[in-house]
Amino acid sequence: MEYAIRTVRPEDRELNAMVDGLLRREGIRRDANLDYTCALLDEEGRIAATGSCFQNTLRCFAVDRDHQGEGLMNQLAAHLIRVQADRGNLHLFVYTKCETARFFRDLGFHPVAEAPGDVSFLENRRTGFSRYLRTLEVESGPQKGGVAGAVVMNANPFTLGHRYLAELAAAQCGVLHLFVVSEDASVVPFAVRRRLVREGTAHLDNVVLHETGPYLISSAIFPSYFLRDEDAVIRAHAALDLEVFGKIASSLGIARRYVGEERSSHVTALYNETLGRRLPELGVECRVVPRLEADGKPVSAGAVRQAIHDGRLEDIRPLVPETTWRYFHSPEAGPVLDAIRREETVIHY
Amino acid sequence: MEIKKPAVAGTLESSDCMVTVEPGEGRVDLELNSVVIRQFGPQIRKVIFETLKRLEVTDARVTVVDKGALDCTIKARVECAVYRSGDVKENLPWGGVIV
Repeated sequence: MEYAIRTVRPEDRELNAMVDGLLRREGIRRDANLDYTCALLDEEGRIAATGSCFQNTLRCFAVDRDHQGEGLMNQLAAHLIRVQADRGNLHLFVYTKCETARFFRDLGFHPVAEAPGDVSFLENRRTGFSRYLRTLEVESGPQKGGVAGAVVMNANPFTLGHRYLAELAAAQCGVLHLFVVSEDASVVPFAVRRRLVREGTAHLDNVVLHETGPYLISSAIFPSYFLRDEDAVIRAHAALDLEVFGKIASSLGIARRYVGEERSSHVTALYNETLGRRLPELGVECRVVPRLEADGKPVSAGAVRQAIHDGRLEDIRPLVPETTWRYFHSPEAGPVLDAIRREETVIHY
Repeated sequence: MEIKKPAVAGTLESSDCMVTVEPGEGRVDLELNSVVIRQFGPQIRKVIFETLKRLEVTDARVTVVDKGALDCTIKARVECAVYRSGDVKENLPWGGVIV
């Protein structure tokens, strides 16, 4: 049987309906984050398989059960790898069910981490993750005395709350590894977030700044297609995130992780719940730090974005350090301010 | 030849291989994944390195996912990826470095 590969464009209703039908039959949800989708059609124009990309990941694979065992996965993967190469993405990542990970291992993907029963995370460079760990070690310099602590933050944007968390943690640790989520899924671009974190923690001389690279991603872009519902996605994301973090922690000797307490965000609350359970098993103490408050309300990046969104830029003054305040009053913040004002939901659920 | 930009050649179908080349770090780094690495790993490596040497590629990161390709297939896929990377589409040196 010969198959033809077709790019599925958003406006192509008929083909999209076929893709949705196949995904439904195979018990897979269409991921909310996809930027390229293709379909394999048989000689009669019926859909036999589909696969997609999002940024540097491959996702949403399904092969019709009548066509399984014909090597269609390999055709799909080869096509998607070429599409990614044309975009300049050679270092690729896959999140998939543990039981399907072996198909990707046959395609040159290597396991980075696995949350048993939930999700397997693979990359197509054998030494990708070990190189990342090496970079972290180099950034950290020689081992220092005292406890090594860690904080992971998106800092979208950096607030007094983030600074409070960093100051508190830094005071209790010999060295504090501060990871800034690198992906550009937030309204404030990574380069700006990183700079504001650096400037906002410059007074703390035992803080080492790191990037999460492609290894720790936010739940916003975590693939959801193979998981049954929203809470399962959040839990699987948290479980995998902690497996990856565990490897980073053992490589850097991190013995304690600090997290900001979360009451308003369902996602973060569920995440922290998994964290509190799994971290001690990984040999890392988990310390939950109550939120810094201003005028009786918790200081949060969400509150800062909300104020900007509502056109109350001056109201962020009590919530952010001088450096973040200056940034939002500089000409370069123009496009970011516009993006926040345009956002439909500012506070993540 | 200089590897100027990433390029891919080949497929992941049985008896083929997929070769990716990209600018390197001052040397040739090869990552080989093969279904027959235990039997033929050294031979596959040899074919890849010989082909790269003939094309005078000295600085590249090369990734090969092999699905049991014959030597001639591996050689052709490496050549194709290297020439694509250099945007060479005409006047290929058939009978010269491509033998």
